[in-house]
Amino acid sequence: MSRKFMINSHESGITAQLKGRRRGFTAIATVGIAASLVLAGCSSGSDDASSGGDNPLTGSTATNMQGKSLTLGYSRIGGWPPSAAPEAMFPAFQAYAKENYGYDVDLTFAEAPFGELFQKIAPTLAAGSQEFNIMIVDSQWLGALAEPGWIVPADKIYDLNPELDIEPFSSLVASTYQVYPDGSGQRWGFPQMPDTQGVFLRLDMLEDPANQAAFEAEYGKPLPTTYEEYEEIMMDDFVEIVAFFNDQDNGMYGTALQYSKDYDFFSCAYYPFAYSRGGEIWNPDTNQIYGVLNSDVNAAAMEEFVGLKKYQPASFATQGIGEVVDLFTTSQAFSAFQWLAIGKFMIAPELEGKVLAIPLPKFEGPDGKPKIVGAMGGQPWVVNSFNDDDHMRVSVDFLKWWYLPETQDSFILENGGLPWSKEGLNNETYLNSAPYVRPFKYMLEEGRSVDFWHVPEYAQMLAVQQEAWNGYAAGTVSSAADALEYTAAKQQEILFNSGRSEEPPPEGTASLTLQ
Amino acid sequence: MTEAVIKSKQPELIQGKTGKSAPRKAKSRFSSNTLWSGGLLVPVLLFFILMNVVPTIWMLGLSFYDYTLTSAKGMEFIGFDNYTRLLNDGPIQLAISRTFLFMVLAVILQTLLGALIGFLFWRADRMPGRRLALTLLFTPMVLAPLSSGLFWRLLLDPVFGLINYFISSLGFEPVNFLTNPDWAFTTVLLVDTWMWTPFMALMTLAALGSVPKAELEAAQVDNLSMWQRLIHVIIPYAKFIIVLGILLRTIDVFKTMDLVYLMTNGGPGDRTELIAVGLYRLAFQSFNLGYSSALAVLLLFIAIALTSIYLFVLNLRARKELKDQS
Repeated sequence: MSRKFMINSHESGITAQLKGRRRGFTAIATVGIAASLVLAGCSSGSDDASSGGDNPLTGSTATNMQGKSLTLGYSRIGGWPPSAAPEAMFPAFQAYAKENYGYDVDLTFAEAPFGELFQKIAPTLAAGSQEFNIMIVDSQWLGALAEPGWIVPADKIYDLNPELDIEPFSSLVASTYQVYPDGSGQRWGFPQMPDTQGVFLRLDMLEDPANQAAFEAEYGKPLPTTYEEYEEIMMDDFVEIVAFFNDQDNGMYGTALQYSKDYDFFSCAYYPFAYSRGGEIWNPDTNQIYGVLNSDVNAAAMEEFVGLKKYQPASFATQGIGEVVDLFTTSQAFSAFQWLAIGKFMIAPELEGKVLAIPLPKFEGPDGKPKIVGAMGGQPWVVNSFNDDDHMRVSVDFLKWWYLPETQDSFILENGGLPWSKEGLNNETYLNSAPYVRPFKYMLEEGRSVDFWHVPEYAQMLAVQQEAWNGYAAGTVSSAADALEYTAAKQQEILFNSGRSEEPPPEGTASLTLQ
Repeated sequence: MTEAVIKSKQPELIQGKTGKSAPRKAKSRFSSNTLWSGGLLVPVLLFFILMNVVPTIWMLGLSFYDYTLTSAKGMEFIGFDNYTRLLNDGPIQLAISRTFLFMVLAVILQTLLGALIGFLFWRADRMPGRRLALTLLFTPMVLAPLSSGLFWRLLLDPVFGLINYFISSLGFEPVNFLTNPDWAFTTVLLVDTWMWTPFMALMTLAALGSVPKAELEAAQVDNLSMWQRLIHVIIPYAKFIIVLGILLRTIDVFKTMDLVYLMTNGGPGDRTELIAVGLYRLAFQSFNLGYSSALAVLLLFIAIALTSIYLFVLNLRARKELKDQS
């Protein structure tokens, strides 16, 4: 049943791929065919596990799972606390499942850091395995998971379970965590942990009368100390504050941002500088990158972004999420540009009450008006297409439980989670639960953040730009313009070669290097 | 009595070996032996076929396809396109040349230092703490490269690292070992040398152990200088094992991936991007299986060429031993 379900659900994707594979395998070798048959045999084992005639995408009924006992497998991002919360909260789901549907369920999980989790789950999905029944994935992976038909279209589950279709706070939720292809409206994911960017500041240092007096003496204006003031602050003014608190001789850096080559660390930290100044990274309608990314605006934004290194440790080019957390929580940095979703971990116990979280400072936009457009972070849940019926039911039950108000209360108020629904972000209890919820809400408003490409080639494209941009930060690439030129050409080549863009890369792109 | 028994049994034994029934018995023994030994080989052969031959054939086949695991496009036969693309791929060519440079420098450094350490410990049985020193010396070699990479990354960190703490406490500026383009490649090279010099020291010790004592004593009696002993006595005997060590290291360094990936992730920029790291990215991050298979085939040929040299040297020794015996 589950196999049929899978094929029917994704006829266009899977059927085409299986046909393509068949053509390929016949041409390789007899040994290869034998091996593929063995693999096919293994993966078809899950068919036997199906039971019941009702649609498993509805979840369990009061009777069809009674007395059963099974294990739910989930994957999560290692070193990223928000994705570990479901494990801590799982006993509540066990009680919910037992009480409502009469089955026992255990949890197994696998985790890997951002850069490696996709590698961990993709081979299991390619082999048709249901090792991970439900997965926390990064939003950029949606296309790579949806196109081969590895995940269940969320719309099918929403159709059968309208109670799950909760009104989001803004369109950013759907465009980031749910929809693929971009703009199509077709949903594949369910919001798990929403995330936007912000800045964490040392409130105790801001409120120190000596600092206030010294700042006023030096800059001729008062030092902003309240959230409201910082919500409207311009980047140039903010940099003055960073410079004021930058006291490297005494072990205090003005700020900390991410420039690491790992995963998307540099990219996401840089994007707000480009987006807010009016830069674009591609044309999503034509998949054109060359001529869009390699613009003067983006180059100037990158110079500005990297220019902030003078307020940071000399090792700034290796700073990722973890390094920025360490710098801030060990009181070595006055401020830190960081994902708000890990706000709980930015405010170490000894910093309790001493931290102010704010949205990203504004830039002067192309029209001369203050503008901020941050990068979207966060992760959706996705459901494995290869789940047998029982595991599919449990996965849907899990989602039903996850979006219950009491579960969201526990996630947000006790486990450092963030709300994403209209109701959740208008809930005063949530908004006042932690200092980073208000700036998160601000950055989640329409037009204030944007996610980047969701195409299956994202990993290749990301690797190219991380290498070039980190190279510029570290000094192996001579200018921001060169780094962007290289990136744009190579990414255009990737999209052109994959057939996703009709726009060819400039001549000589293949032999282009960063040297 | 014993002699008589032996003598009386000898004809039977001789008959047993040379009589008419002998060929049949020998044949049956031969066939059962062959069957038995062949049977013992089956698991190994099966393992070899399943784990080596099939994946290699599969990889070879994939290298002729445009195939990305995460794309719905499916597989498309493109002949030698992946290979022609490789020939024009600037970053790949750069990574290969960087890998060769890394390989040459690493092998030279490790051989020289390994030889030096080997000589220090050779015939130093009375050295106090020799065993402990040898155990400590060989420790880096037995550590997982992933652990070593992480360990060094933390040690070398300019903000939190122990090494920069000492550098700062001496009044110097912290050194960005892993992010400074002028330092990163050298740092990774030195860490690889730290890790694998013990292997070359071990090979040197084994090589020196193969020098006959009599020859060394004769050289001493003849009052040969240390240099003459090295050239005329030690090197002729030790060279085979040392060359084997060099070749094994050459093949191994060519595949260096985990240490670099953990320490620098190929950075800053692409400054430490070795070809194995590039292959890993193509195959397991981008899942571009067709193109990465073509690159893997290319690297396989390079590895085969290096292995051929290794086998040639092995045979060289066998040939020399045969010649000496004759």
